Amino acid sequence: MQENTQQKRRDFLQYILGGSFLAWLGAIIYPVLSYLKPPKQAEVEVNSVNVGKSSSIALNSGQIIKFGTKPVLLVRTAQGNFKAFSAVCTHLDCTVQYKNDLGLIWCACHNGKYDLNGRNISGPPPRPLSEYRVTLQGDDVLVSKIA
Amino acid sequence: MVILSRADDQCVTCHNSIEDKPSLLFKNDIHQQNGISCADCHGGDRKSEDADQAMNKKIGYKGIPKGNDITKTCSECHNNQAKMKRFGSSIKTNQLEFFATSVHSGGSIDGGEWIAQCITCHGAHGVSSVKSMQSPVHPANVVKTCTKCHSDPSYMKKYNPSLPVDQLSKYHTSIHGSLNKKGNIDAAECASCHGSHNIYRPADTRSTVNAVNLPSTCAKCHSDVQKMKKYNIPTDQYKKFAKSVHGKALLEKHDLGAPACNDCHGNHGAIPPGVESISNVCGTCHALNADLFASSPHKKAFDQRKYPECETCHGNHEIVATTDALLGVGVGSVCSKCHKSNENQKGFVAAQFMRGLIDSLELSEKNAKGLIEEAQQKGMEVGEAKFKLRDVRQSRLESRTMVHAFNPEKFKDVVNKGLEAAQFVKSEGQSALDEYQFRRFGLGVASFIITLLAVSLFLYIRRIER
Amino acid sequence: MKKIFQWLDERFELDALVKFMGKKYVPIHSHSVWYYFGGVSLFLFIIQVITGILLLLYYKGGEDLAFESIQFIMSKVSFGWLIRSIHSWSANLFVLSAMIHMFSVVFERAYRKPRELTWLSGMLMFFLILGFGFSGYLLPWNELAFFATKVGTDIVGVIPMIGKPIMMLLRGGEEVTGATLTRFYGIHVAILPGMFTILLGLHLLFVQRQGMSEPIEFTNTPEHERETMPFFPNFFLRDLLLWLIVLNVLAILAVFFPWELGVKADPFASAPAGIQPEWYFMFMFQTLKMIPSHVLFIDGELLGIGLFGLAGLVWTLIPFWDRKTARGEHNRFINYIAFFAICYIILLTTIGWLS
Repeated sequence: MQENTQQKRRDFLQYILGGSFLAWLGAIIYPVLSYLKPPKQAEVEVNSVNVGKSSSIALNSGQIIKFGTKPVLLVRTAQGNFKAFSAVCTHLDCTVQYKNDLGLIWCACHNGKYDLNGRNISGPPPRPLSEYRVTLQGDDVLVSKIA
Repeated sequence: MVILSRADDQCVTCHNSIEDKPSLLFKNDIHQQNGISCADCHGGDRKSEDADQAMNKKIGYKGIPKGNDITKTCSECHNNQAKMKRFGSSIKTNQLEFFATSVHSGGSIDGGEWIAQCITCHGAHGVSSVKSMQSPVHPANVVKTCTKCHSDPSYMKKYNPSLPVDQLSKYHTSIHGSLNKKGNIDAAECASCHGSHNIYRPADTRSTVNAVNLPSTCAKCHSDVQKMKKYNIPTDQYKKFAKSVHGKALLEKHDLGAPACNDCHGNHGAIPPGVESISNVCGTCHALNADLFASSPHKKAFDQRKYPECETCHGNHEIVATTDALLGVGVGSVCSKCHKSNENQKGFVAAQFMRGLIDSLELSEKNAKGLIEEAQQKGMEVGEAKFKLRDVRQSRLESRTMVHAFNPEKFKDVVNKGLEAAQFVKSEGQSALDEYQFRRFGLGVASFIITLLAVSLFLYIRRIER
Repeated sequence: MKKIFQWLDERFELDALVKFMGKKYVPIHSHSVWYYFGGVSLFLFIIQVITGILLLLYYKGGEDLAFESIQFIMSKVSFGWLIRSIHSWSANLFVLSAMIHMFSVVFERAYRKPRELTWLSGMLMFFLILGFGFSGYLLPWNELAFFATKVGTDIVGVIPMIGKPIMMLLRGGEEVTGATLTRFYGIHVAILPGMFTILLGLHLLFVQRQGMSEPIEFTNTPEHERETMPFFPNFFLRDLLLWLIVLNVLAILAVFFPWELGVKADPFASAPAGIQPEWYFMFMFQTLKMIPSHVLFIDGELLGIGLFGLAGLVWTLIPFWDRKTARGEHNRFINYIAFFAICYIILLTTIGWLS
């Protein structure tokens, strides 16, 4: 009789031991597997951002690209040259945009204007926009920080 | 130096007899009146009747000083306090020092001499006291004296081609100029603002008309209650300006983008802007606001009622940083000055509506920011949401500009952009906080499992060791 | 289960191994608890290897990518925050537990004949661990790490003749730059693990071959009074139990005190206030700060480095000069040295933290 309870207890303990071991394995494997699963954004994008094919970017147009946590304005001039500037207006940190009718960089908040060298030429901005480097790798347009 | 009577001065006797113009002019010269003779500047022996003897270089005759020697000759006395005192003069003796640093001591085009010498402004042989109407630098004459060069385009071109030469014609359009023309010596003339011996380029921080210094230069007269009494104009402009958003930026932060007096009133043609043109004046910097205002229903309404456009709501010299409190119909709002619930009702409703929108945007921004900050403080990475938060702020700033169109529909579009962005940020922040909770929960589960395993392992060890 | 075991047993004679391990006994005495720290260190090393490999999947070396890739791991990769935090925390616990293991060996005189080489391999591993810490600290390329590395490599440069070349070798140039990062990355994930694994293998082999060391007092007690416990399964299961607890502690630390990333390093920025090395370098750093710039005619920093070098060498060679213990006598002098070392480290670290 006593041996029987002993036996039972042993089984019970072994069940718990085995069960909790399996659960433990699960608790280890689950995070590791989720870690291994490629995240939505497959890669870290940083100091050099690939904007895409230069042929797909219209002449005389501008677009905001996300550069790390900062917005950068990439402008393609009417002549086909690429220019990139920090898109943060030096006045009150609004995001600037390219005005293709004026051929200028323009801030919607207070009508600040910058020329295509980033210089503040009209309105409240106190400083020029900092420039980023644009390089062409084959047909790919890469924007990078000027160190 | 022995002061001799005029009769003993052979220079004058002789030169007068041949009707030599300088010697005739010298009769009325303040220096002559103080017993200074030709020889004191030109050298030579004034007692000698023999011309060869009197103007002999061997005994120190200098002839006509040329170039910088002119100014040096003047400053031999005028830069020497002791000498000046001997003549009983109390005028300052620092003119040369000032002048030597001034813009007029630059190199002249015909050899390294200074552009101007003392005599250029003060004259040579008929020098009078500044207080005398005869003096070319008397307030009534100084304008003519300065413009001799400064209104001569071909002359000015040689030194500074970009400097305008229309100051005189502008000046005549100004209140200062028209008073000066009438002989009013209170009214500002060139030297009142630019200084005399110490004139610098406006960009030079030492200049009295440098943007940072200009307000106090104007205030020299315009804050003078005695002086302004006659003209019946207030004297508190400087005090108000210094408190204003413009004044603080300019005077405290030395932000040269901020306007000084002249940026609104003009400088040489200084005059208060007319009621209908105020929005154009403010619009030179606040362009978008001015454009929106010009096409808004208020433009016509204000002009008809002779309301001074921007000034109606924002004031003039003491413009403070605007807040959202100006908008709406509550306490401190400017809309309610004209728009009441029973009068001009359409504007009343619009103002109330727009204020409601901007308030809700502000609240949304605050909430979104709070969530993000909480998540960040809890160690969650919310870079993306923070990036988007910029859009909310931008929309709020844009809406504060857009309000000048006084068009609720347009205003709503701008605000909605911000509200949408705020919604995104809020949900990002919330999910970051949820993730934070999930981590704690996950840890709890894992800890439970590990504890269970550890305890059963412990029991197992005890068993096998029994 | 049994079948698989039999299958393997036929081929590898596993039975003999189990018997060997079963025959291995762990002495039971009042200081038995110190036996566990070797195992804990081993466990933390395993954790480091696993989490390190996982981090390698997303980490990108390089000046303009390192910081961002860690940020990416922390935010975008699911459970990336956990893996990285565990790696960082476990690194620190690893150093701590290795230190405890080392000091306990000294106090128990476990280094004495015949275990001189076990001690030597252990000491070499300890230096490698410090190397792991130093090289790994730079990899996130944040401000603190950048300047700590700058200071740390500067100190190496002080040594006459060989200092400058070594500094250049470490930095991959005159200054701490992206080149330094690349070098440290290589050192951290390839060179050190390789060397460490070999030493660890030797170390474990020695331990298995020679069995657990017994304290002198234990050896001197009569045989029938000695208590022991089989290594397998008793001691092994206890080891596992402790490992589980350590794992849970790591998880708690990672969740409640996630390892911070800080601000990205900017080589052109001025050094922020409060630049500190990792805590296990603090006592050395603080000593160098406190030594006057010139002692007699010797450069103060140089003197400090020289003294630490000498102390490290003497410490590493303990089993070879401690004749008294080798003869089986009790050498109090060793206790004094070890006690002084511990007090010194604690005192200087505290001063460093407070200043």
